Amino acid sequence: MLTFNLTLSGSDLLLLLPEIFLTLWLCVVLCLDFSLKRITHQQLAYLSIGGLGITGLMLIGMDVTGITGALFKNMFVLDHLALFFKILVVLATALVVFMSIDYVRDFRFFKGEYYCMVVMSAIGMMFMASSNDLLSVFVTLEFSTFGFYVLVAYLRDDIRSSEAGLKFFILGVFAAGLLAYGISLVYGETGTMVFSEMAGNQGSYGLAIGFILIFAALGFKIGAVPFHSWIPDTYQGAPTPVTAFLSIAPKGAALAILIRMFYVALASFKPMWVVVFVLASIVSMTYGNVVAIAQKNIKRLLAYSGIAQIGNIMIGLAAGTKQGSDAIMFFLLTYLFANLGAFAVIIAVSQVIRSDEIEDYNGLNRRSPFLAAAMLLFLLSLAGVPPLAGFIGKLYLFVAAMEQELYTLLVVGLVNIVISMYYYLIVVKKMYINEPTDPSPIAASMPIKVAVYVGIAGTLVLGIYPGPFIDWAVDATLMFSNIVAPVAALSVLPGS
Amino acid sequence: MGEYALLIILFAPFLGATALVFIPRKEELLVRMTAAVSSGIALLASFYIFFAYDTTKGGYQFVQRFSWSDELGIAFYLGVDGIGGPLVFASAILLFAGIFVSWHIKDRIKEFYIFLLILAAATIGVFMSLDLFFLYFFYEMSVLPMYLLLGVWGSHTKGYLSMTDPEGLKLRDSVGFIFNFASNSKEYAAMKLVLFLSAGAVVALMGILLIYHFSGLHTFDIVVLREKAHFTGTLATVIWFLIFFGFASIAPIWPLHSWSPVGHAAAPAATSMLHAGVLMKLGHFSIIRVGYEILPETTREWIPVAAILCVFSIIYGGLVSYFAKDTKYVIGYSSSSHMGYIFLGMAALDYISLTGAVIYMFAHALATSMLFAMAGWVYDQTHSRDIPSLGGLIERMPFIAGAFIIACMASIGMPGTVNFIAEIMIIMGSWEKYPFQVVVAMFGIVLTMAYLFKMMRGLFYGQMDPHFAHSADATHWVDRMPLLLLIACSIILGIFPGRFLEVVGSTVGPLLDRINQVTPLITHNTQDLLH
Repeated sequence: MLTFNLTLSGSDLLLLLPEIFLTLWLCVVLCLDFSLKRITHQQLAYLSIGGLGITGLMLIGMDVTGITGALFKNMFVLDHLALFFKILVVLATALVVFMSIDYVRDFRFFKGEYYCMVVMSAIGMMFMASSNDLLSVFVTLEFSTFGFYVLVAYLRDDIRSSEAGLKFFILGVFAAGLLAYGISLVYGETGTMVFSEMAGNQGSYGLAIGFILIFAALGFKIGAVPFHSWIPDTYQGAPTPVTAFLSIAPKGAALAILIRMFYVALASFKPMWVVVFVLASIVSMTYGNVVAIAQKNIKRLLAYSGIAQIGNIMIGLAAGTKQGSDAIMFFLLTYLFANLGAFAVIIAVSQVIRSDEIEDYNGLNRRSPFLAAAMLLFLLSLAGVPPLAGFIGKLYLFVAAMEQELYTLLVVGLVNIVISMYYYLIVVKKMYINEPTDPSPIAASMPIKVAVYVGIAGTLVLGIYPGPFIDWAVDATLMFSNIVAPVAALSVLPGS
Repeated sequence: MGEYALLIILFAPFLGATALVFIPRKEELLVRMTAAVSSGIALLASFYIFFAYDTTKGGYQFVQRFSWSDELGIAFYLGVDGIGGPLVFASAILLFAGIFVSWHIKDRIKEFYIFLLILAAATIGVFMSLDLFFLYFFYEMSVLPMYLLLGVWGSHTKGYLSMTDPEGLKLRDSVGFIFNFASNSKEYAAMKLVLFLSAGAVVALMGILLIYHFSGLHTFDIVVLREKAHFTGTLATVIWFLIFFGFASIAPIWPLHSWSPVGHAAAPAATSMLHAGVLMKLGHFSIIRVGYEILPETTREWIPVAAILCVFSIIYGGLVSYFAKDTKYVIGYSSSSHMGYIFLGMAALDYISLTGAVIYMFAHALATSMLFAMAGWVYDQTHSRDIPSLGGLIERMPFIAGAFIIACMASIGMPGTVNFIAEIMIIMGSWEKYPFQVVVAMFGIVLTMAYLFKMMRGLFYGQMDPHFAHSADATHWVDRMPLLLLIACSIILGIFPGRFLEVVGSTVGPLLDRINQVTPLITHNTQDLLH
C-alpha cells in the first residue's frame, strides 16, 4: 500500500530548483509571447536559450558542489547520474533551439509556442533523468513524449509531417500501454515501485514479463530493434530540428532510466538481461547499418545510423558493469555533438536547396567549404574515426565489453564499424568528389553556425582530450561500483 | 630542445594543417609555403633524431609521456627505437618531397595540403607511438585522408574512361561498386582502400583489446606490456594472428593486397608516394612493434606463415607488373611484390635479414616514391599512363628520364643505392632458413629488372606520339628539388650505410635476442622506462 506524507522543506525544494526555475521561465516566455505583440520569435528563442543556460549553470553548480538527495519517498532522486543526464538534455535542447531559429521563421503560425514545446519536453526529460520509481518513470516519460507528439506534427500543411506525427503518436501510445501493463505486473509481483527496493526480489515469470514490457517501452524510446519501426518515417517527416532533438535527448533520458532500472532493480538478474542486451545490440547495429546503405534521404540515413548507434550504446548495457555505464554516458556525449552538428548542417543546407536528398549534397564542398568540412567531421565521428570523439566513445564501449569477454558482441560491433564506414563515406563522396549541379554558394546563418561550431568543438575536444569528460562520467556512476560486481557477475549463470 | 624532437616532428604537420584551415583559399602561395615550412620543420627534426639516436644505449629514446586517460590506462607516449627512427625520417622526407611534387595542383589546394599533412603526421605518429591505443589511433587516422586524396585529386584508369555507353555510364557512376570489379574509377579505388584498411584495422583492434584484457595490467603501454605481459597457448596464437593479418592487410601481403595497386593507380602523385613509401610500412612496423615485442614466443612459432605468403607476393606482384600497361599499376604491383622481401627478411628472424628488412622499408620508400613522382609528372604532361601509347619522351624531358633511370636502378637494387644493401642483407640473412624463398626473391629481382626496363623503354625511348610533343621537362627548382632530394638520400645512404646499420642494428639485436632466446625478458635498454 502506497501512502504519501508530503513534507517538503526548503532544502528539499533546492533539489528541484532547476526544474522549477525552467518551468517558471517557460511560463514567462509563453506569457511574453501572447502579451507583447511586437516580440519576434527570435527574441523568444534567445530568451529560451537564456533560461536553458541558467538552468545548465545551476545543474553544473549542483554537480560541482555535490548537492544530492532524494525526494517523495525515492521517487525523485538527484544524484550525479541524474545531473549528468540533465546537463546532457539541457545542452541538447539549447543547441536544438539554436538550430530551430532559421527553421521556425518559415512556420506560418505558432512560432512562439514551438520553443515552449521544446523546453517543455526538456523539462520532462530532466525529470526522467531523476525518476527512480516506476510511477515516476511512467509520468515523466509520457510528459516528455507529449511535447514530441505535437512537435513532430508541427508542419501542419506537410503531409509527411502529419503522417510522421500520427505514426509516432499511435506507436507511442501503444508503448505507453505496454509500459503501464509492465508496471502493474512488476508491482503485483514485488509490491513496490521503487527501484532500489526491488533489488533483493526472487525471480518469477510475472516479474520477467513485466520487465520485458517495460524494456519494450523504453526500447521504443531509444529506437532499438525490434522497436524501431517508427524511427525512419518520423525522422524524415518531422521538422528537422525536432528530428535532431528526437535523435538525442529522449534517448539520453531513457538510457538514464534503463541504467537505473537494470543496474539497481535488476542487478541480481544480470546474467539474464545481459543476453537480452547482447541480442538487441547485435540486431540493432547490424540492421541499422545495413539498411542505412540503401538510403537516399539524409534524414533517413541518420535515422538508421541512429538505430545502429543505439546498438553500440547497448554494448555498454550488455557489459552491465560500471565501466559499461561510464562508456554509455561518454558515448552519448560524443553522439550529442556529432549528431546535432550533422543535423545543424542538414538544416543549413535544406534552408537553401529545399531538399534533404543525399543526391543534392553533390559538390557541397564547392558550395560551402565550411558546411562540408563540418559535415565531414560529424560523419566521421559517427563512423568512429580518430581523432574524433566517436572513436573514443566506441573504443570505450568495446573495452567495457572486452572486460566482460563478450566476444560475439565485439566481433559484430567491429564488423559494423566497417559497414557503417561505407555509407558515411558515400555522403562524403557526394560532398567532396561529385561536382555540383548548381554551384551557387550556400551560406549558413549565425545561429546555425553557433550550433555547428559547438558541434565541431565538442567533437574535436572529446576526441583529442577526453580525460576530464571520462572522469566526469566515471564520477557520476560511483554508486554502481558497489552494486554490480564486475568480475563475479559472469560466473553466475541462470539456473546455477 | 632535443627531447622535444618527436613532439616537433609530430605536431609540425598537424599545426600546419590547422593553420591552413584559417588561411584564405585565395592565398595560394601562402598555403603552399605553410605546408612546405611545416613539413620542412618536421624533416629537420627527424634528421636530428636520426643522427642523435644513441646507438650504444639502444631502446626507446626521445621519450615523451603524458597521461591521457588513467581510467582506461592510456598515455600519450612517444618514443623511437632504431626501427621507428629511420621510418619517421623516411616519412618526413616523403612528406617534404610530396608537397613540392604536388606544387602545381590547381583544384582546392588548401584541402589537398590539409589532408596530405594529416596523412603524413598520422603515419609519423604510428612510428613513434609507444602506446597501443595511440598506435591504433594514428593508424586509423592515416586511412581516412586517403579516401579524399584519392577521390578528389586522383585520376580514373583507362578502362573507366572508355565506359561511355549508357549502361557503362550508369555502372561507373553507381556507388554500389563494392562488388563492381569492372569499374576502375577513382571512387572505387578510394572506397576499396578505406574498407580494406578499416577491416584490417578492426581485426588488429580486436587483437589489441585481447592484449589489453588478458594482460590483466589495465594498460595500453607497449613497454609495460612487453616486459610484464605473458601470453601462452591458444590465446597467444589467436592474438598473434589477429595482429599479423590485421596489420599485414596494409603491408599488403598476398592475398590481402588487391586494394593497393588500385589505390596507387588512382592516387595523385604525392599521395602515391606517401602511400607506397610509408603507409604500407605501417603494416610491417606494427607487426614488429606489437607482434614481435609483446608476443615473442608466438612470433617465433608462427612467423613462417609470412615466409610462405611472401612467395606469392613476390611472384604474383612481379608477374602482374610485367604484364600491366598502366605506369602506376606497374609501380603499384612492383611495390606489393617488393613488400614480399620485407616479409621474408622479417620471417627469417635473423639479425642480418631483419636489419635488411628495416633498411629495405626505408630504401623502398625512397625508390618507389621517386618512381611515383615521375609517373605523376609524365601523367601531368601527357594525361596518359598507358605505356604502349607513350614513348620517346626522353627528347622532351631529359631530366625526368635521367632521374627515372636512377629510380629504376634504385628499385632494382643496383650497388650504390641503399636498396642494394637492403636486398643483399635480406638474401644473405634468410638463406640459411628459407633457401627456397631466397631463390624466389632472386627471381623476383630479375622480374623487377624486366618490368622496370620494359616500362622505361616504353616511356622514354622509341617513337614519340606527336600528340605528346608539347610535354615539358621539370626545369624549375621546385620540380627538381624533391627528386634530387630523394636521389641524394638514396645514394648517400647507399654509399655510407654505416650510421644506418648502427641505428637499426642497435634495436634489431635485442629484439631478436628476445624472440630467439626468450629467457632474458627484461633487457637492459628498457629497464629505466618501467615505472
